[in-house]
Amino acid sequence: MRLPANSALAGLTLALVLGTASYGADIKIGVLVPTTGGQATYGQDMANAVQLAMDEINKAGGGNTYSSVVGDDGCDPQAAVNAATKLVSSGISAVIGGYCSGATIPTLKIFGDAKLPFIITAANSTKLIPANPGNAFMINSTGNDQVAKAMEVWKAKGFKSLAIVNEGDAYSQDLATLAQKSFTDAGGTVADFETVNHGEQDFSAVVTKIKAAAPDAVFWTAYDDDGGPFIKQLREGGYQGAIFVGDGSTSANLFKLAGDAAEGVFAFSSPTAEFLPNAKAFSDAYQAKFNVAPSSYGPLTYDGMKLLADAIGKAGGTDSAKVMAALQAADYKDGIAGEISFRPDHTLARSNFVVVVGKGGTWTLAQ
Amino acid sequence: MALQPGSPKSLEVRPSAWGGLATILDTPQKRGVAIVLLLAFMAVAPIAFGPYATVILTNALLYAILALGLNIVVGYAGLLDLGYAAFFAVGAYSIGILTTTYGWNFWAAIPVAVLAAVLAGIIIGGPTLRLRSDYLAIVTLGFGEIVRITARNLEITGRASGIIGIEQPWLFGWHIATSRDFYYVFLILTVIGILVSVRLSRSRLGRAWLYVRHDEDAAEAMGINRVRVKLAAYIIGAIYGAIGGAFFAVNFTAISPQSFSFQQSTLFLMAVVLGGMGKIPGVILGAFVVVLGPELLRDLGSFRYLVFAVGLLLIMLFRPSGIWPTGSRR
Amino acid sequence: MTLTTLIAQQLVNGLVLGSFYALVALGYTMVFGVVKLLNFAHGDLYMTGAFAGFGAFSLLSGGLGTGWFGVAVSVLCAMFAVGILGVIIERIAYAPMLKAPRLSILITALAVSLVLQNSMLTLTAGQFIPFGPKLGFGGIDLGPIFINYKQIALAVVAALLMLGLELFVSRTQYGRAMRAVSVDKDMSELMGIDVNRIILVTFFLGSALAGAAGTMAGAYYGSINYFMGFLIGLKAFTAAVIGGIGSIPGAMLGGLVLGLLESFGTTLPGIGSEWKDVFSFTVLILVLVLKPTGLLGKSEQERM
Repeated sequence: MRLPANSALAGLTLALVLGTASYGADIKIGVLVPTTGGQATYGQDMANAVQLAMDEINKAGGGNTYSSVVGDDGCDPQAAVNAATKLVSSGISAVIGGYCSGATIPTLKIFGDAKLPFIITAANSTKLIPANPGNAFMINSTGNDQVAKAMEVWKAKGFKSLAIVNEGDAYSQDLATLAQKSFTDAGGTVADFETVNHGEQDFSAVVTKIKAAAPDAVFWTAYDDDGGPFIKQLREGGYQGAIFVGDGSTSANLFKLAGDAAEGVFAFSSPTAEFLPNAKAFSDAYQAKFNVAPSSYGPLTYDGMKLLADAIGKAGGTDSAKVMAALQAADYKDGIAGEISFRPDHTLARSNFVVVVGKGGTWTLAQ
Repeated sequence: MALQPGSPKSLEVRPSAWGGLATILDTPQKRGVAIVLLLAFMAVAPIAFGPYATVILTNALLYAILALGLNIVVGYAGLLDLGYAAFFAVGAYSIGILTTTYGWNFWAAIPVAVLAAVLAGIIIGGPTLRLRSDYLAIVTLGFGEIVRITARNLEITGRASGIIGIEQPWLFGWHIATSRDFYYVFLILTVIGILVSVRLSRSRLGRAWLYVRHDEDAAEAMGINRVRVKLAAYIIGAIYGAIGGAFFAVNFTAISPQSFSFQQSTLFLMAVVLGGMGKIPGVILGAFVVVLGPELLRDLGSFRYLVFAVGLLLIMLFRPSGIWPTGSRR
Repeated sequence: MTLTTLIAQQLVNGLVLGSFYALVALGYTMVFGVVKLLNFAHGDLYMTGAFAGFGAFSLLSGGLGTGWFGVAVSVLCAMFAVGILGVIIERIAYAPMLKAPRLSILITALAVSLVLQNSMLTLTAGQFIPFGPKLGFGGIDLGPIFINYKQIALAVVAALLMLGLELFVSRTQYGRAMRAVSVDKDMSELMGIDVNRIILVTFFLGSALAGAAGTMAGAYYGSINYFMGFLIGLKAFTAAVIGGIGSIPGAMLGGLVLGLLESFGTTLPGIGSEWKDVFSFTVLILVLVLKPTGLLGKSEQERM
């Protein structure tokens, strides 16, 4: 069968057009989140947020259409590396996600070697900063900013002694160590520094130790699964001082697990939908599409996806060097979680932490 | 007792390493061809199957090395070790600390890693290897946890975040850095591991392990120092673990306590028992099943671990001696 | 807080924790005694018990209320349900494996554990579920320390269960048969004991105890999750071995000892919560090196 010359030419032209132009083409974005295991609900929430953002961008038109490829990291470093490798070989142009810091750290090199821009929307251990090969951008304020906010509050309340409790994982230990250093540098005493095991239900020995140390406040730096029972046991054990939790414990689940003990508990939170003036549209759309309310990192991940699309648009394509340059220079003002721009070390240029307090079973902004 | 041609297999003192396949591959020529084909297949696999498959196969080869080491402890010497990840950790952290904090060259650090694992093996094995196997199980489990928690708590091991930025080594001008580089490194290590295991199984030490495993008291009566023989197995297993850990560290460039948990130890044990305890090809098959299983089932999402667990259960119920054909009659 | 108060309170904490360990360790040790199997799935029976109790509680709390009575009935339901589950698991997974190599049945137990864990993981999507009966905060004031009613109830129930088990084993025919089987299975069979039936009874009782412990833990600590069996299984296994595996009083002692080790390990300045597990395991290793069969274990006869 002879191939007519003009159809060969047409075919060649078509190939050239499809091959070279990323403008107007389908852009695949990798999503690295835990969709299995204990943190699956948060990971799924982030994947949903990406999908929602993509649907809106695609509907608005303007050239590029996006689709997502989800890689499950199961909150485990080795599974994360496998997932990252799979994503890299799936023809993606960029990656978004990262929930568990411990699992995200080893993937940085993989995405770095593949020269893929990586927008990290939840993981925020400060250990991510030195491990960043230069392609990752963190839009959730790191432990440094969280501790700075915490110190503001603790100084204002005149706390002299603090007890810090973490779970021995990369994120909570990082936050706990930073808090310890800042608090002692500022002249306070850390009366007690404890590590508990994830899933171990009995905190009585630690609670008794804390009571004996009688600090002005207790700071829980880990997740809500154990945070809830811990707070409950603290109060039942008779501790009456202030209780603070970090941003890993700010989901609504804390109230279910801690019950009445969560009343009056303070938290440092990345902005969740209830506190964002512009987030109502997002919440409603999310609820309509997925039949469930968005969780803690939905807004940030949604913003991250929109930021990425914006950067790709500004870079005129998916060339990673150009996209990364566009991200570095970003001054994104349409984020529902606030403005996004980056410091030289690729962390968010402003602290996005707010202080909230538990009242009547939900969080409200604290004064 | 020499093996006469034609003797019933149930009388074999040293069963063939090929197990049940020995019936098909009954001449050295056939076995040679099988080995060459397999090696050729493994050599071209990265090019044929792409980067993702390369990484997963590298993982499988790592598990194969560790399974071979654990096979010596569990399969040859009959010691129930529930904390094998401890040696893996010692190897990985030795490399991590020496190369990152002290700037050592990787190759110079390897002997130190091996020595550290040997010391660990002696320290924990010495007082406990005379215990009954069930007690030994909990002691090895405890030791695994002690190593993990220590790594989590100490500054020098990077605490819970671990060690990052481990430099990848150079060998005579070849920078071992890409996933393909590591694939071939692990393939070579696996082949070396197999050769060492085979030689061990045929050596006097290997026979001593066999006797001790079958009847400790009779072996003792024959003049075999039971504890010394078990300790030898434990230490050799530790060396395998340390080498696996060392190369694991430079492959991933970031290590943290999460990779050295009890779950990891049980995965190694699963690989050994699933494939066919004591049989080298079985153990390697087990390693591949344990690594490839969850990856192949990735599309099932949340269900994949459940499917894997049920599959594992079914395999154990229907083939308790492992997947690899044994060829022996009960 | 004075030193005596601190010590007294940690003593109470350790004994409460130890009661849970003891209840789970008992099941481990009983099963080991009759089938010489380290049942890795035992901790997950505790977890299943917690969910079964939670289920019963949620279903029945309309009629029985959310207080003590509701919890008590839930515990009984969970004991029954998990006991049956234990028997089913034994029939399906372990009975066919009894002639297989030791390690194979161990891996089978591991597989069963994974199946239980992952099933619950899939059903709950990994969430921690609150289990909150209304048991009040009242208690007895003993001057420096305060022991609440929940702790007293827990200790009493645990003690009753353990006492009941001890009586069963030492006074009843089944109990005698169990002891015979654990000493020499083949001989017991020759003497006319229905070994299979004894194994089933043992599994039922051991699993029921774990189920009771699970429900009580859920009610006491206030939350349940798919993962809670893993840690407790590890600790209970340790406790059983410290006490001498195969010995029922040993399991009780081992559980309490481990609970106290953990609670005082957390308190001691050099150790703290960071190192308490290392401390517990080190003590375990020392005990086994000095007394290889555990605290109350029987010494092995040297065969000639």
